[in-house]
Amino acid sequence: MKMRRDMVTGIVGLLTCVFFFFMTLQVRQPAKLLEPGPRLLPFVALFLIGISSIALIIRGYKDRAKEEKPYFPKGGVLKVTKSFLMLVVYAVAMTYLGFVITTPFATAAFIYDLKGNSEVKPVPTAIISVVVTAVLYAMFVFAFQIKLPAGVLFGG
Amino acid sequence: MAAYLSALLVCMKPLNLLLIFAMVALGIVFGAIPGLSATLGIALLLPITFGLSTETSFVMLLAIWIGGVSGTFISAVLIGIPGSSSAIATCFDGYPMTQKGQASKALGIGMTASFIGTVCSVAIATVLSPVIAEAALHLGPWEYFSLCFCAITLIASLSKGNIFKGIMSAGIGLLMGCIGMDPINGATRFTFGNVYLTSGISTVAQMLGMFAMCQIIRDNAKGEAKMPDVDVKNMKGLGVGFKDIIENIKTILFAFASGLWIGFLPGMGSGISNMVAYGYAKGISKDPESFGKGNPAGVWASETANNASLGGALIPMMALGIPGDGITAMLIAGLTIHGLQAGPLFMTEQPDLAMLIFACVMVSAIVTYLIQIVTKRWFPYILKIPYHYLYTVILVISFIGGYGISNTMFNIYVMLALCLLSLFMSVAGLPTSPLVLAFILSSKLERYFRQGISYAHGSYAPFFTRPISLILLIISVLCVFWPYISDHLKAKKAAKNPAPAAANADVNDD
Repeated sequence: MKMRRDMVTGIVGLLTCVFFFFMTLQVRQPAKLLEPGPRLLPFVALFLIGISSIALIIRGYKDRAKEEKPYFPKGGVLKVTKSFLMLVVYAVAMTYLGFVITTPFATAAFIYDLKGNSEVKPVPTAIISVVVTAVLYAMFVFAFQIKLPAGVLFGG
Repeated sequence: MAAYLSALLVCMKPLNLLLIFAMVALGIVFGAIPGLSATLGIALLLPITFGLSTETSFVMLLAIWIGGVSGTFISAVLIGIPGSSSAIATCFDGYPMTQKGQASKALGIGMTASFIGTVCSVAIATVLSPVIAEAALHLGPWEYFSLCFCAITLIASLSKGNIFKGIMSAGIGLLMGCIGMDPINGATRFTFGNVYLTSGISTVAQMLGMFAMCQIIRDNAKGEAKMPDVDVKNMKGLGVGFKDIIENIKTILFAFASGLWIGFLPGMGSGISNMVAYGYAKGISKDPESFGKGNPAGVWASETANNASLGGALIPMMALGIPGDGITAMLIAGLTIHGLQAGPLFMTEQPDLAMLIFACVMVSAIVTYLIQIVTKRWFPYILKIPYHYLYTVILVISFIGGYGISNTMFNIYVMLALCLLSLFMSVAGLPTSPLVLAFILSSKLERYFRQGISYAHGSYAPFFTRPISLILLIISVLCVFWPYISDHLKAKKAAKNPAPAAANADVNDD
C-alpha cells in the first residue's frame, strides 16, 4: 500500500513526539513550585503535535484509495536535493575558507542551478559572481559594519 | 500630537527620507515579483539593522513593509499572478482590464486604492493605539495569556483544508520556542549540550531559513521560478481621477472598514480582507456579471482592503505587543533586537519611538504613491528581472544575515536545518503562519500562564473568572470547533431543505 502524505506526516509527527517526550523528562523541574514549571510548554506542544498526527494518520488511512498528485514535478526531488546540498557545501566551505573566497564560486553555482530554461553564459556569470561578492562585501562590511566570516583556515 | 509632529520631523531628516525612498522602491520590487514578498524583504533586512540605530532600523523596515504590501497589485494586474495572497482578488478584474487594454487604469486604481487604504488606516491606528494601550495597562497575565492563546488558535483554525495541519504547525512553533532557557526559572530545554542553543533559536535565522532559502529552492524545483511575458502599451498618466473615486465611494468605504477590522484580528490579514471586500463589492454592484471581466470596482475593493489591513495590524502590535500576522511578528522581532518590547508599556514609556513608527508608515505610504506615480510606466520591467540572478543574491544575503546574528556560523546551520523543516512542511501541506506566530508568542504565552498561576497562588481559576480572559478563551475554543459546527449545520440544513442549500452553494461559489 502506498502511504499518503498525511499518513507520513502523522507518523513523523508521532515519532517526533516520542523523542521530545523523553527529552522533556530530562528537563530539570525545580521543587516546590507554585506554577507548573518548565516542562509545561513542551508537553502542551507535544500534545498538539500528537493529536494532530493521529488525526492526519486517520485521515490518510480513510483517503488511502484516492489518487494523490505528486508535490514536485518529475525530477523535482532531485533538483531540490541538489539545491539543498549546494547550500550545505557553501556553508561548510565558508566555515573553512571564509566569505570572500567561497562566494564567487557559490554565486556562479547558484546562477547555473536556478537558471531553469534561461540561457546563461560562463563569462558574464563569472563577472556577475565577482561583482556580486565585491558589492555585498563592501555594503555589509563598510556600510553596515557587519563582520563576514574570514574562515577557520585563515584564523577567522 | 507634539510627539507625532516631532516623529514626522525625524522621518523628514535627509538620511531617513533617502532611506525611505530607497526601501520603498525595493519593497515595491519585492511586492511586485511573485515569490518575493514584503515578509522576505523584512527578513533580509533584519540582520542589516543589527549595526544601525533603532530609529534608522525602523525607518528601513517599515518602508520596505509598506512598499512591499502596496507593490503586490503590479503583477496581479499585469500578468494575472498575485505578488502575494493579499492581491488574489486584484487578479480577478485587474488582469482582465489589462487584457482589454486598460492596464494603465488598473494600475492607477491599484496605486490610489493602496494609498487610501494605508493612509486612512494608519491615521486611525495612530489615534486608537494609545487609547487601547492605556486600557491594556490594567490587564494582568491572565488576559495576556488568553490573548496570545486566542491569536494562535485563530490562525491555526484558519489553515486551509485541515485544521489539524494548522494545529500541528502551531505545535511545532511552540516546541521550537521551548529551545533554550525557560523564561521563568532559567531551566535549559532541548539544547543537547550546545551552548549556542541556550539563548534559543534566533527569529532572524528562522525567517531566513524558512522563507528565503526554502522558498527559493522549492520554487526552483517546482519550476515556478519563471514569469510570463508582459505586453502593455500606453502607460502614461495616473489612469484614474477624482471622479472614479466618487463613483466607487461605497465600495471603497466598505473595503476600508472590512480591511481595517480584519487586519486588527490576530491571524487574519490582507490575505483574507481582499477576498471579503471583493465579495461585498460584487454583492452591491448593479452589474455583478461584469465582475471577473474587468470591473474597476473589483480592483478598488481588493486593494483598499488589503492595505487597510496594515493599519489594522498595527493596532494590536503597538498597543498589546501581539503580532497579527507574520510581518508584524517580524517587526516585533526587530524591536526585540534593539532591546525594546512592543506593548502598552512601550507606548507609554517610549512615546517618541512609538509615534515614529506611525509617522514612518504614513510617510512611507505617501512616498510609495509618489514613486508609483513617477515609475508606473516602468512597472512591466520589474517583472522582467531574471529570477536566477535575483534569487542568487537573496541566497547570499541570507547567508550573510545568518552569520551576522551572532558572528558565528552556527546560525547558518540552524537556517539550513529550518529550511529542511520548511521543505518537509511544504510537502506535507502544513501552513507556516501558525508556526511563525506560535514561535514568536511561545515565550509570552508561557510566561503569562505561569505568572498567572503564581500570582493566584497556584490557582487556575482567574483565567476563567476574569471576564476579558474568559471571553478570549471562549473565542479560542469556538475558533477550533467552528469549522466542524458550521459543516454540521450546513449538512443538517441541506438534508432538511435540499433546494435552498443548492442555491446557497451557487452563491458561495461566486
